Amino acid sequence: MIRILDIAFKDLLQLMRDFKTFMFLLLMPILFTFLFGYAFGGFGGNSDSRLPVGYLSQDNHWVTDSLHDLFSESDLISLRENVFLSPADLEQQVANGDLAAAIIVPHGYGRDVLKNRTDLRLIVIADTSSTAWTSVEAELLRITSRLDGAVRTATIIERIDSERMPFHYAFEKTLDAWNDPPIAVTETKSPAVAKVSDSGAALAHTAPGMILQFAIAGLLTAAQIIVTERKTRTLQRLLTTSTRRIDVALGHFLAIFLLLFTQFAILIVFGQVILKVDYFRVPEATVLVAVSAALCISALGLLIGFAAQSEEQAITFSLIPMFVFSGLGGAWVPLEVTGATFHAIGHVSPVAWGMDGFENIVARGLGFESVLLPSAALLGYALLFFSLAVWRLYASEEK
Amino acid sequence: MENLPAIEVLSLHKAFGENRAVQGVSFEVGQGEIFSLLGPNGAGKTTTISMLSCLLRPDDGDARIMGHSIRSDGNGVKSALGVVPQDIALYEDLTARENLSFWGKMYGLRGSALKKRVDEVLDIIGLRERANERVGKYSGGMKRRVNIGVALLHKPKVIYMDEPTVGIDPQSRRNILDSVVALKDQGMTVLYTTHYMEEAQELSDQIGIMDHGQMIANGTHDELVKLVGGQTRIDLTVNAEPQRILGAWQSVEGVEQASVEDEKISLLVADSNLVLPHLFEAATRQSMRITSVDIREPNLEAVFLHLTGRALRD
Ligand SMILES: Nc1ncnc2c1ncn2[C@@H]1O[C@H](COP(=O)(O)OP(=O)(O)OP(=O)(O)O)[C@@H](O)[C@H]1O
Ligand SMILES: [Mg+2]
Repeated sequence: MIRILDIAFKDLLQLMRDFKTFMFLLLMPILFTFLFGYAFGGFGGNSDSRLPVGYLSQDNHWVTDSLHDLFSESDLISLRENVFLSPADLEQQVANGDLAAAIIVPHGYGRDVLKNRTDLRLIVIADTSSTAWTSVEAELLRITSRLDGAVRTATIIERIDSERMPFHYAFEKTLDAWNDPPIAVTETKSPAVAKVSDSGAALAHTAPGMILQFAIAGLLTAAQIIVTERKTRTLQRLLTTSTRRIDVALGHFLAIFLLLFTQFAILIVFGQVILKVDYFRVPEATVLVAVSAALCISALGLLIGFAAQSEEQAITFSLIPMFVFSGLGGAWVPLEVTGATFHAIGHVSPVAWGMDGFENIVARGLGFESVLLPSAALLGYALLFFSLAVWRLYASEEK
Repeated sequence: MENLPAIEVLSLHKAFGENRAVQGVSFEVGQGEIFSLLGPNGAGKTTTISMLSCLLRPDDGDARIMGHSIRSDGNGVKSALGVVPQDIALYEDLTARENLSFWGKMYGLRGSALKKRVDEVLDIIGLRERANERVGKYSGGMKRRVNIGVALLHKPKVIYMDEPTVGIDPQSRRNILDSVVALKDQGMTVLYTTHYMEEAQELSDQIGIMDHGQMIANGTHDELVKLVGGQTRIDLTVNAEPQRILGAWQSVEGVEQASVEDEKISLLVADSNLVLPHLFEAATRQSMRITSVDIREPNLEAVFLHLTGRALRD
């Protein structure tokens, strides 16, 4: 057992001997996170990680306009408006998964709200079994009750002091008060702060993408240690001692895991503190996704280490997941913007599950349960890769 | 336990597809002896050693190392054994001390016992002063010494050394040969492979000659040399057409065989001291000069030539 630790420690010592590579592994992702974050921030639409929600208004009351404004300001949903679409079209798009939900504002809705009547309700089309629905629903409730609250407050104020504060004005004031709730006063509207949080939205996608992307670079470095060990026949020599093969596999696995997890931890803390990507919102979820993703990618590294015939082949084997898995898995561009089919294919890639896990936390504002499925998928892949790697080790070096 | 052979090899076979690398090799090495496997490239020496260290499973046959079967008691074999592989199997980006310390742990040593043993081994291989340099920066000879040191860490009863002197300077080579003898003096059994017959001759109690996967001869140096009938070979060149002197030399008493290859005349003789003066006389009579003389006492090279019709170093 203790030999597992000995082997892991030896691997890490070897990794740190190559100090430049080691620093590269930790610093490059930080640099790239910045570059990609700003690049995608610049492209606009691409960086929008909010849930797409169709919006069709059949009402033209000023209260309805306020409702629209509230929706447009949402951090969670992004309105897709197209006056040429019928409710049936919207329904179709929701069914296809192109939209997370669709909202139809019926004629007379604004007036009813103002009168404090509840005869008319917003019509919402959604797949209520989807995870996205949970967050859309919460946001809908928040916004409508805020509108409702503002109307009531304004009515009361008007009743008390209609001379000095006409309803209209009171309504606007109350809505604004919601914009600046007392607890958020420190984060006011200074342009500097606003800019950081703008890029923050873009980075909510890019930062996790970079974490997974560079994990694969870390994996390569670690895999090369194993390839070199096989090529110099130190692995064979290990097998002439009484060290068991499974200990050799676990030792290397542990080393890669520790490297990747350190990489993750640095990038997560960096993302949280500097880039304001909110990983710490649900810390236990972030830890679970990070551990699962690190285990999965480490197992892939182990497999490459035991399967590649040469260092060159190890690079090729690592570039394939780096580009295919990352590209496919949405580490570069969010899968949401690529359409339903690609979204489904993308989930063949473990990176997609890693992205899902992180984005559910930092971009979609979901809770701990939302990362359970992605984590389970990642752990499944980890088990698969690890088994293949061990099988390779037992098969390749004859007993 | 006392009389048990350290290594007992019983008709090992191993084929790689069509290539029958080892075909029925058997031999025995007594405790505290040095046994050399001598053979040209591809003879099957490394394949044999790999089977004896449980890295390769034999197709047929068995072997016992200190009584442990390589087929059924791999762990017993491994704990009795230190292996010096033909390739330098070390971590080049770690220092000699770090390497020894890591391998010591793999052999099950820990703590202060490990530290002490690493220092001892560094002394044995003469690298104490440079122990904290990375192995990658060492010369070939120094790497070879660390490669051997690793196999000594757990004080094995039996040690295999697969061509440990390939490609190194004479000084390192001397150091290694001396340390092999020192190991024997401490009671270790050594299985040594080489294609240098001088090394086999100098070190070994017993020598096995391998070719094409077979053990073609096996015995002490003297026993093997007797196989060629104790003949000495004399190679000569002259400053004229070799054929002109060949007949005269063939009829000199004591010359048993004569042949010409290129410009060189080769004679097999019973005793070179008796024959040589007559060769010079014959040359003088034909007013020729002998331009070079090379006397080869019977040796393993000759044995190999005799048994296979080929030189050992092709
Ligand atoms: N893993 C392997 N796969 C296929 N063929 C092999 C393998 N190992 C050895 N051989 C073949 O088996 C034969 C014997 O090789 P081996 O390495 O045992 O020779 P050797 O006596 O150690 O030679 P050398 O002096 O060059 O080290 C050779 O023909 C070699 O090509
Ligand atoms: Mg060999």
